[in-house]
Amino acid sequence: MTGDVLRVLLLVLQLGFVALLYLVLMRFAATMLRDLRSAEEAQIASRSGIGRLSVLESPEDEPPAGSTIALGPINSIGRNVNNTIYVEDDFVSTNHAMLTFRGRSWFIEDQGSTNGTYVNGHRIDRPVALSFGDELTVGRVRMRLDR
Amino acid sequence: MRITWRGTELGLLIPILLIVPFGFVVTHIAMSGVLEPGPLELALGYVGLIAGAHLALVAFGHRGDQLLLPAVGALGGIGLIMLNRLPQDLAGTRAFGLELGMASTQLLWFGVGVVVMLAVAVGLRDDGILRHYKYTWAAIGIGLLVATMVFGYEVNGARLWIDLGPVSVQPGEIIKVVLVIFVAAYLAETRTLLTSARMRIGFISIPPLPYFLPMLALFAIVMLIVVRLNDLGTALLFFGTFLTMLFVATGRRSYVLLGLLLFAGGSYAAYQLFGHVQTRFDIWLDPFADPLGRGFQPVRALYALGRGGIFGEGLGQGLVTLGGGLTIPFVHTDFIFAAIAEELGLVGAFALLGVVAVFVFRGLRIAALARDDFGGLLAVGVTTSLGIQALIIIAGNTKLIPLTGITLPFVSYGGSSVVASFAMVGLLLAVSHRSRVGTDAEAGLDR
Repeated sequence: MTGDVLRVLLLVLQLGFVALLYLVLMRFAATMLRDLRSAEEAQIASRSGIGRLSVLESPEDEPPAGSTIALGPINSIGRNVNNTIYVEDDFVSTNHAMLTFRGRSWFIEDQGSTNGTYVNGHRIDRPVALSFGDELTVGRVRMRLDR
Repeated sequence: MRITWRGTELGLLIPILLIVPFGFVVTHIAMSGVLEPGPLELALGYVGLIAGAHLALVAFGHRGDQLLLPAVGALGGIGLIMLNRLPQDLAGTRAFGLELGMASTQLLWFGVGVVVMLAVAVGLRDDGILRHYKYTWAAIGIGLLVATMVFGYEVNGARLWIDLGPVSVQPGEIIKVVLVIFVAAYLAETRTLLTSARMRIGFISIPPLPYFLPMLALFAIVMLIVVRLNDLGTALLFFGTFLTMLFVATGRRSYVLLGLLLFAGGSYAAYQLFGHVQTRFDIWLDPFADPLGRGFQPVRALYALGRGGIFGEGLGQGLVTLGGGLTIPFVHTDFIFAAIAEELGLVGAFALLGVVAVFVFRGLRIAALARDDFGGLLAVGVTTSLGIQALIIIAGNTKLIPLTGITLPFVSYGGSSVVASFAMVGLLLAVSHRSRVGTDAEAGLDR
């Protein structure tokens, strides 16, 4: 008799255990669905574009340090105000460098500047392909290429 | 500074942390036949540990993914329930005058793993140390492999262990982490070169060799040594992870095709050259040819799956013994999935697979949202490594593919595996923290 009671009880406990497992799974699923629909997702998707530059260091504060610059496919960098990316720094040449998106990657090319263009601390002497996360230095301004 | 509560994580952790003591109680009642809760120290220790990890992440203001810790907590919890239920003398430690059973030892390793995970997740605010010292990481990996070859000792025909006094470690588990870091750093740097340049032989465009050489050389060394150490499961795991990362970095299907061809050729060569590979393969094709000898382990596992059926034998009621011993050899490491499927049935096994799927889904999402190439590739590597590992051993347990002995991450018994897997979760948390901080600051959302 007690054996039977115990067996039934165990069956109930066992089913309860499995039910709890599925409850957890359903909560996981609900959370993931909510996440997928959330505004954050939309926001991240909307800023995707082809890339942007985050300004890490800028002594003259033009462009301001900490800001991000949305990039088009062709971007010129220099001290002349007609450049797409205008940089106020005495160590930057009038037309310093070109940052272009070709095919599937970003490329940077120096435009014969006086003080050179640096990628991750190395001076470049020809067009160089960039990865997201690479650091560009023109004059005293440091920028990072981000998605 | 405002505290960032991790509400989603907490909400998911509560039912998970209730499950663990509940499972312990059910097991105790079933095994003793007495209606009492039984000893709960281990279950409560585990609850405290995971809750502590959650609180530590809150205290450090960590913004990383909130589903990873619950997913890992659920896997570890199910594993601990099962390990506590098995005979405690299957494994354990005897060190510093302490004698610990299998489940207690596992809990101890969970503790070490959680500390490592938190250290990586919080300490890795800048990934420079990972990406800039990639050759150092590669050197560490190779050094560990060589050390295993020289100082290692054999267990069941595979030479994987190094004895360090009180504990034995499996360097292969550490190499797994180090290798993913190296490959991610290398691919992030050379990705554009690998996709733009190409060499053609006939119809197949092959990789521009010079850029591949350092990575291929390293990989060949690793594979060679892994095969020498008779650890085929790990070789398969490395290969699958590497191929996935390469595909994600370059987007080239031809590389995958080439890799699969290499793999097919390599498997055939291994079958011809090594006796134990042949044995494994033959057992897989027909385990019933020698059910009491070479086929004993898989045959017992298949019977366990069959006994479990759809709803299972019940916690603490399965695992029929044969002559006093457990029916499946290595049930606490390689065959933990078969044990779970026997006691919880198909429904329980599906729940376990569901949690693994949640983990993989979140890992790939972290990779997709990563701020830079390195972070993305690292997340892909870590996720596929853990996912493929689970796939290989579960498929091996169910006789879908030939069995290779590796652990089921977070579930199987084994200190090295637990610590390495937690370290990988730490990497995922670090990557997702960085991407989150970046986007929120921009949008002016400092929640």
